[in-house]
Amino acid sequence: MTAFVIRRLIGMVLVLFAITVLTFLIFFATPGVDPARQFAGRNPDPTTVAAVRHQFGLDRPLPVRYALMMKRLFISRDLVSYGNQALEVVPAIRAATPVTLSLVTGAAVLWIVFSILTGVLAVVFKGTLVDPLLMILALIGISMPVFWLGEVANLITLDRWHDTFLFSWVPPNGYVPLTQNPWQWFLHLVIPWLTLSVLYIGFYARVLRADLLEVQSEDFVRTARAKGLSPERVMLRHMLRNSMITFVSLFGLDFGVLVGGGALLTEVVFGLPGVGKLTYDSLQTLDLPVIMATVIYGAFFITIMSAVVDVIYARLDPRIRPT
Amino acid sequence: MAEFAFGPEEEVVLAPGEAAQQIAGKSPWRLAGRRLLRDRVALGALALFVLIVVVCFSAPVYAHHVAHTVVFGSNLNGTTKVNGKTVQVIQQGGGKLGIGENPIGPTWQTNYFIGSDSQGRDVMARVLYGGRASLAIGVGSAAICCLLATALALMAGFFRGATDSVLSRVMDLIWAFPVYLLAISLSTVLLSQTKPIVNPASLWIPTLIIAVVYIPYVYRPVRGQVLSTREKEYVEAAVSQGASNLRLMFNEITPNILSTVIVLFPLMIATTILTESALSFLGIGVQSPHASWGTIIQDGQDLLYTRPWVAIAPGIMIVLTVLSLNVLGDGVRDALDPRAKVRATKE
Amino acid sequence: MIGKRRWGWLLGVVAIVAGLAMMAAAFSAAGTKSRTPSNPQAFPKLRAVLDTIDYLDPQQAYTGQSWWAMWNVYETLLTYQHVEKAAGYKLVPGLAQSLPTISKNGKVYHFKLRKGLKYSNGKKVLASDFKWAIKREFLSTGQGVGFYTDIAGATAYAAHPTAGGNISGIITNNAKRTITIKLAKPRGDFLTILALIFAAPVPGSTGPAIQNGTIPSTGPYKFKSYDPNHGFVMVRNKYFKPTKYIPRGNPNEVDVSLVGDADAATQMVINGQADYSNGAISPDRIANAKSKGRLILRANANTYYFWMNINEPPFNKLKVRQAVNYAIDRSKMQTLIWGGLGQPTQNVLPPTYPSYRKLKLYTHNLTKAKQLIDQAGAKGAKVTVWARQVSDSVDSATYYTSVLNSIGLNASLTTLPKATYYTTIGNVATHAQTGWARWLEDYPHPLDWFDVLLNGNRITDQDNNNYAWYTNKKTNAEIEALKKAPILTPAVNAKWATVEKQIMQQAPWAPWSNRVFPEFFNKSIPAKCIHVQRLYGIDLARLCK
Repeated sequence: MTAFVIRRLIGMVLVLFAITVLTFLIFFATPGVDPARQFAGRNPDPTTVAAVRHQFGLDRPLPVRYALMMKRLFISRDLVSYGNQALEVVPAIRAATPVTLSLVTGAAVLWIVFSILTGVLAVVFKGTLVDPLLMILALIGISMPVFWLGEVANLITLDRWHDTFLFSWVPPNGYVPLTQNPWQWFLHLVIPWLTLSVLYIGFYARVLRADLLEVQSEDFVRTARAKGLSPERVMLRHMLRNSMITFVSLFGLDFGVLVGGGALLTEVVFGLPGVGKLTYDSLQTLDLPVIMATVIYGAFFITIMSAVVDVIYARLDPRIRPT
Repeated sequence: MAEFAFGPEEEVVLAPGEAAQQIAGKSPWRLAGRRLLRDRVALGALALFVLIVVVCFSAPVYAHHVAHTVVFGSNLNGTTKVNGKTVQVIQQGGGKLGIGENPIGPTWQTNYFIGSDSQGRDVMARVLYGGRASLAIGVGSAAICCLLATALALMAGFFRGATDSVLSRVMDLIWAFPVYLLAISLSTVLLSQTKPIVNPASLWIPTLIIAVVYIPYVYRPVRGQVLSTREKEYVEAAVSQGASNLRLMFNEITPNILSTVIVLFPLMIATTILTESALSFLGIGVQSPHASWGTIIQDGQDLLYTRPWVAIAPGIMIVLTVLSLNVLGDGVRDALDPRAKVRATKE
Repeated sequence: MIGKRRWGWLLGVVAIVAGLAMMAAAFSAAGTKSRTPSNPQAFPKLRAVLDTIDYLDPQQAYTGQSWWAMWNVYETLLTYQHVEKAAGYKLVPGLAQSLPTISKNGKVYHFKLRKGLKYSNGKKVLASDFKWAIKREFLSTGQGVGFYTDIAGATAYAAHPTAGGNISGIITNNAKRTITIKLAKPRGDFLTILALIFAAPVPGSTGPAIQNGTIPSTGPYKFKSYDPNHGFVMVRNKYFKPTKYIPRGNPNEVDVSLVGDADAATQMVINGQADYSNGAISPDRIANAKSKGRLILRANANTYYFWMNINEPPFNKLKVRQAVNYAIDRSKMQTLIWGGLGQPTQNVLPPTYPSYRKLKLYTHNLTKAKQLIDQAGAKGAKVTVWARQVSDSVDSATYYTSVLNSIGLNASLTTLPKATYYTTIGNVATHAQTGWARWLEDYPHPLDWFDVLLNGNRITDQDNNNYAWYTNKKTNAEIEALKKAPILTPAVNAKWATVEKQIMQQAPWAPWSNRVFPEFFNKSIPAKCIHVQRLYGIDLARLCK
C-alpha cells in the first residue's frame, strides 16, 4: 500500500513538472507578446525597450528563464505579474483562494445534500411519476451551460424580479469576505451557489440512483430487509454506504477541479474574484507568471485529488488492483 | 475507471410464431438495435436532435426566404415591417442626447421573430446559423476525439509495455491540465499568430482543440476495455490460430470496445457542445465572422436587461440539443447493456 | 416499498426550512437599503467606486483611474487648474513658484520651488527630490520612461541606472530651491510632460521598489491605506497649504472601493452604498441609471478611428481612403457602439484641445463613396479588417466591414487577442491593410498625437504606433518645426489646426468617435457640486454635498 502511495506521489510530481514545461512552451510560442514592450510604456525608443528587456532578464535563453521563474514561484515566492509589477503572484492566489473555496464549498454542500436527496427519492418512489420527473430535472440540470444559467439568474434576481420580496435581498454581483461581514458574504454567494450546484446535482443524482438500483438487488439488502430492519435503516446504513464509492470518487475529482479554478465561468459571470477569474484575466492579457501559477495550482488539485481517490478506491475495494 | 462489459444474455421474449424461427445466437448488435427501437424516449430524443440539426442546417433557407435578412453584416440603418408598419431596427433611446439604444424586440412574426441584436441582425436567423457552427464543431470534435482516443487506446492496451506507459503518461498530462485552461491556452496561442497557418476564423481551431482536450476522457475507459478484452478466451484462441497483430486488433478486440465508444459518443457530443459554447462565450472559441450559440450569448450579455431574448434563445437551443443527446446516450447505453455502469462524462 | 410517508415528511421539513430561510433573508436585508442622511454643512466622507487602478506609486501609475486619485495626492512642478472647460487645460504653477523661464533655444528650463513646502510626514520638499523622482522613474522602469529621455544625459543614465548615478541635464540647488533642466533637443510638449504625475517629487529616501500608497504626499490629500483587493482611503494632508490654483478639498476623507463590474458599481450608487462611480455602464442600462441617480457625461480626450495603411493596396490610393471616410455613418455608430455616449468626429484631436477646429470634410454619402471606389479601380479588392477581441472593437469593426463591402470592396474581419493586437498591427511584416484603433491622450499636447501617431519620421518596423504608416514630407516637416515651440500660443494652435486639416485631407484615418464617459452620482449630491475637470475628470477637491 505504502509503495503504491509513494509511486502515485512521485507520478504526481512528474506530471506537475511536465505541465509547467508545457505551459511555458505554449506561451513562448506566441509571437507578438513582448512584456518588455508593455513595461516600457506607450512610445519608448528601442534602446529603452532593450534596457528594460535586460533588466527583467527577458533576453536570456528559455531554459534559464524557465528555471528563474520556477525558483521565484516556489523558493523565493516573489514572482511578479507581467501586467502589474506591484502584483505578486503568490499573494494574489492566496487572496483569491478563500473566494473560490467559499463558492465551491457552499456549492458542494448544496449539491451533496440535494443529489443524495434526489437520488434516494427517485429510488424510493421508483414506479411512480416522481422518479422520471426527478430524472428529467436532473438531465435538464446537466444540459444547461453554467454561464448561461448564471446570466439568466442575474437577469431574474437583479432586474426582472428584483423588486419583489423573492429577490430584493439579492445584492449586486461581487464578493464580501466572510471575516468582514458574514451576512453579506452569505447573501452574495447564495445565487452563485445555486447556479454552480445545479449541474452537479443533476449528475450526482443520476449516478447515485443508478448505483442504488444496482445495490438494491444485492443479497445483503435482501438479508437486511428479511431481518426486519426499518426501510430507512436499510437505505441509510446498508444501501447508501455501499453505493457511495462511485459517488465519493467522482466527488473528489470534481471538487479538486473546482477548487483549482474550474469554477471559472461562474466566477466570471458573478464577478467573484476567485482563482478562476484570476486565471481568466491573466489569459486575456497573456500574463505568463500568473498563468503559470494558476495552471500549476489547478493541476495540483486535480492530480492530488485523483491520487487520493485512487488510494481510497483501492482501500475500499480490494478487488481493484492499483495500476 | 469505467468497466464496460456485456452482461449475460438477456432473455429474449418470443412472440408466438417466432418460436419456430429461433436460431441460436442473434447478434448482440441486433438485440441492442431492437431494444433501442423499443425505447420510445430515446427515439424521441434522437428525433429531436435530428430535427435541430436539420433546422439549423437549413439556416440559409430561413434567412433568405422566411426572414429576408442577411446575418453577417451590420444592419444599423435597416427597417422592417411589423404589422404592416415600417419600423427602424435600431431605435435610439430616450432623453435629449438619445442615450441608450434599443434594438427592436421580438416581433413574433417572420421578420425578427425574436428581435434584433445590437448590430441590427435578426437573432432567430443568427441562432440557426450559430447552430450550424456549434453542431459542426460539437459533432466534429467528438468524432475526432473518439477516433483518436480509440486508436491510441487500442495501441496502448494491445501492445502494452513502453507504448502503454508513454501514451498513458501523455494522457495523464493532458488530463491533469485543467480542461478549460488547456483549451483557453491553446486557443489564445493559435489565435495570436501573426501569419497564421490556418485562418484564425477557421472553425477547425476550436474543433481540434476541444477534441484534443477530451481525448483522455475516452482513452481511459476504452483502454481499460481493451486490456480486459485482451485476456478473454476467444482472443487467446485467435492467437493460438496464428492471427497477426493487426487481425487481432481489428477482428477480435475492436468489435468489443465499439460498444463503449458508441455509448460515449453522444455524451461526448453533449460535452463538446457545452465546452464550445463556454469558449465562445469567453471570446476564444468561434471568431468573427462566424457565429455560434456561445458567441450569440456573449452578444446578448450587453443587452441582457433590455433584450433578454438575444441571450436566452441560444441557451435554450443548447439545452434542448444537449438534453436530447443525454437522453439518447442513456438509451443507447441501456440498449447495449441494460446492466452496464458507464461513468458518464459531463461538463 | 420503503416507508414513503417518512420520506415525504423529510421533504416537507426541508421545504419549510428553506422557505423560512429565504423569508428571513428578504426581510432582514431590507435594512441594507437605508441611506446615510445628507449633511449640507460638511462632507465627512466621499465613497467612490472605481473599477481598477494600476498603481498608487507616482512613478508607476499610468491609468486615468489612478491619476484621478493621485492628482490630489502628488503635486508636480506645474499642474492644471481645478476648473471646467478650456481653462482646465491651462498649465499653472504647482510646486513651482511660477511658470519657468525658458531659454531662447528652448533647451533650458529654470524653476524655483515655493517656500516652506512640506511632505505629509512633515519633512521639507527639496529641489533634489525632483531629480530623484526622474531617476527613480528610470530605476523602477516606470511606464513613463519614454517621456523623459530627451533630458540631457537621460539616455546614458537609462542604459545603466543606479541610485548614485547622475543625469547631467538636471541641476538642482537645495539652498536656493532652484531646478534647471537642460534638454538634448527642444521639445514643445516638455512642460506638459513635466506636469505628468511621473515627475512628482518624492523624498530622496524613497527606494526604487514600487510602493503603493505609502510615499509621503504633497497634495491636499494623502493615502491612508491601500488594499489591492478592496480599495484605498485618502485622508487630509495636514501639511498642505492651499494656493491660488490648488484648493484644499471638500471631503475630509475619500473612501475608494474597487469594483470591477460596472453594473454592480452603478447599483451600489443607486442603493446609496456609494456616492460616486465612473464605471462604463452598459448602453442598455443607461436609461435605468439616469432615472435613479445623477448621470453626468464627461468628454474625455480620446479618438477612436480606423487606420488605413497607405502602403498597402487598395488603401494606397487617396480616393479609396476618402471613399471610406464618406461611407461610414458616424452618428449611427455612436448609438451602435456606445449607446449614444460618444460624439462623431472627423478630427485627429478630440474637442478638448484649444487648437480644435471641427473638420467637416466628409459628410456621409454612400453614393459618392461608391463612385470614388469605382474611379480608383478598387472594386472587388480584397481587404482584411483587423480588430481586437474586445466587444466595442469587434462591434465597430463588424460595422466597418459591412460598410466596406457595401461600397464595393471585398472585406472580411479578423480579430486578435487584446494582448497581441497592437504589436501585430504595428509590425510591418503583417502588411495589415486597415483596422480598429483608439488613442487615449497621455498629456494635453498635440505632439502626443501627431508626433506619435502621424509623423513619418517616427515610423518603426516593429512596435510602430503609426498604424497607417502615414508619411508626408510637408506635414512631417511641419510637425518637426512645431516640436520646437515650447508653449501653446494661439498662433501655435492655429498651425496645429492647419496640420490637422492637411493630414485629414490625405485621409490616412477614418476617425469616427470621441467617446464620452458616464459619471454617476447618488441623487443626494446636488448638480452644482459637480465640477468636471477636463483632464482628470470629476474634481474631487470641489465635490460637495
